[in-house]
Amino acid sequence: MTVADSWADDEFEIIFREHFERLSRIVRRVLRSDAEAEEVCAEVLLRLYRGGPKTVADGSAGGWLYRTATRAAIDVLRRNRRRHEEELADGAEASLPTDADGPLDRILRAERIARVRLALARMKLEKAQILLLRHSGLSYQEIGAAMNIGTTSVGKKLARAESEFSRIYQRQQRMSGTAPRLEAAKEGR
Amino acid sequence: MKHAGYDTGTLRAYADGELEQGQSASVAEHVENCSRCGAELNAVTAHAAAVSSSLDQLPQTRWDAGKTDAGWTAFRLRRNQEISEQQARRFPLWRIWSIAGAGAGVALVALLFTFAPLRSWAESFLSIFRVEHFTVLELNPAAMHGNLQNDAFFNQTIGHILSDEVTVTQAPQKPVPVSDAATASKLAGFKIRLLPDQTPSALLFRSGAAAQMKLNRDRLQSILNEAGHDDLQIPESVDGAIIGLRLPAGIMAFYGNCGNMAARAQGIQQPANHAEPDASCISLMELPSPVVSAPPQIDPGQIAQIALEFMGMSPSEAASFTQSVDWTTTLVLPVIPGQTSYEKVYVAGNDGVLLRPRPPRDAGHFTLMWVDNGFVYGLVGSGDDTTALNLAEQLE
Repeated sequence: MTVADSWADDEFEIIFREHFERLSRIVRRVLRSDAEAEEVCAEVLLRLYRGGPKTVADGSAGGWLYRTATRAAIDVLRRNRRRHEEELADGAEASLPTDADGPLDRILRAERIARVRLALARMKLEKAQILLLRHSGLSYQEIGAAMNIGTTSVGKKLARAESEFSRIYQRQQRMSGTAPRLEAAKEGR
Repeated sequence: MKHAGYDTGTLRAYADGELEQGQSASVAEHVENCSRCGAELNAVTAHAAAVSSSLDQLPQTRWDAGKTDAGWTAFRLRRNQEISEQQARRFPLWRIWSIAGAGAGVALVALLFTFAPLRSWAESFLSIFRVEHFTVLELNPAAMHGNLQNDAFFNQTIGHILSDEVTVTQAPQKPVPVSDAATASKLAGFKIRLLPDQTPSALLFRSGAAAQMKLNRDRLQSILNEAGHDDLQIPESVDGAIIGLRLPAGIMAFYGNCGNMAARAQGIQQPANHAEPDASCISLMELPSPVVSAPPQIDPGQIAQIALEFMGMSPSEAASFTQSVDWTTTLVLPVIPGQTSYEKVYVAGNDGVLLRPRPPRDAGHFTLMWVDNGFVYGLVGSGDDTTALNLAEQLE
């Protein structure tokens, strides 16, 4: 069977509509802004469009999209890692409010998000991708298709990814003095 | 004795409900009776919950159906732009200009003018503005054409100017359909206005376009000379000046039975027996004012005087007209009186022009153009003047 060089418009639209929402949700969780996420999603979809059907001749378009998009998003995250580190080191303290729970809650939440993203950025790429895909609601079968691994291997790889995440995340917690100070401030200590 | 239990991966899959039914039942039975695997399962589950709790900190995107439509439209625009850029690398500029529907300057006019009374290059000469007002210029095409003693030279020179001195910085794209007003507003970057209580039969988004032209005084002067107008001298100061034209994104809405107008606007090829619009068809175009930027040494009035004389006006007529117009804020609509009648009108207190074709082309059609708060509107339909003005004033 021969594979066409380019997508028919309606064929690509079906793929787009089937995966765009989920793709956008996954990428936006990793990246800091809608603009960054939109750019990554658009670029990944364009790559699939440019490559034509042969790009996914050996698998599913969805799998290719999720694998490529998570890799691209984590690449962006890694490029911005220094910024996340700086935010954790001193960003929140400078604007620490003293008498308003709302703003402080927002700062704490932003800090927790930055810490999670920083841990993802520090993980091995495949592990970060599997973790992200699973926690974005993909089934083992979908993760297997996206990452080109057997479905029966997903549980083991996921467990390892979670262990690596926990190790990095907890080390960050130990290394950072900011969070305890903020939590203490919130508790009035 | 060696423990023949399940590995962490299998327990993790079991906890997630991702094992096949038979294997899942086996694991359930095993962990029930095996304290070591039961403890391992508890640890795996607790660990997964802790990681999940951390990852749940990441923001969740709110989603509605319109986002997918908007995403698809944005994707098509970007893809089309990429295709245009690929063509731009493959073809000489003058050809892109032609492919793109005659380029930014002419695209502006094509969008704004339903009637096409003059050659497009002449219209682009007149389009140096940010539109706040309209005025009408009656032209005699015979006088203009009479000046052009060597059409081949003229076309060749224009071709060279487009090829060498015009850079399309944002190629115009074919309009794309959008599902609703909210999506159109989001894409266009402004809140669009539509006819109340009516659903458009088609709603199209047209991306913006932009171009720059580096003026070559000698080349422009050669056109005037060839046309027998060596009395008109283009000032030295224009040489090398960069003129920028930006046509912002806008929308086109079609109401009633407009036949294949929306499809034609998208550049979709039509069968020979395509449907024609009928008297119920109304089309509306709106976009923020186009902007032309020019360096301070450019005197638009001086350029306009030369252009008007070139197009057949006497020096005194051209001077009189030029002095009556603020060239930085006025869109001049060139009209051939024998073909088009016009009337200056007010739409909700704003300057406007109502144009109608003269017999035998007159079929009750009108084109109403007006400017409101920095936006240019064009409304095309059938009916009397009151109908036209009422429709325009209803927009919301």
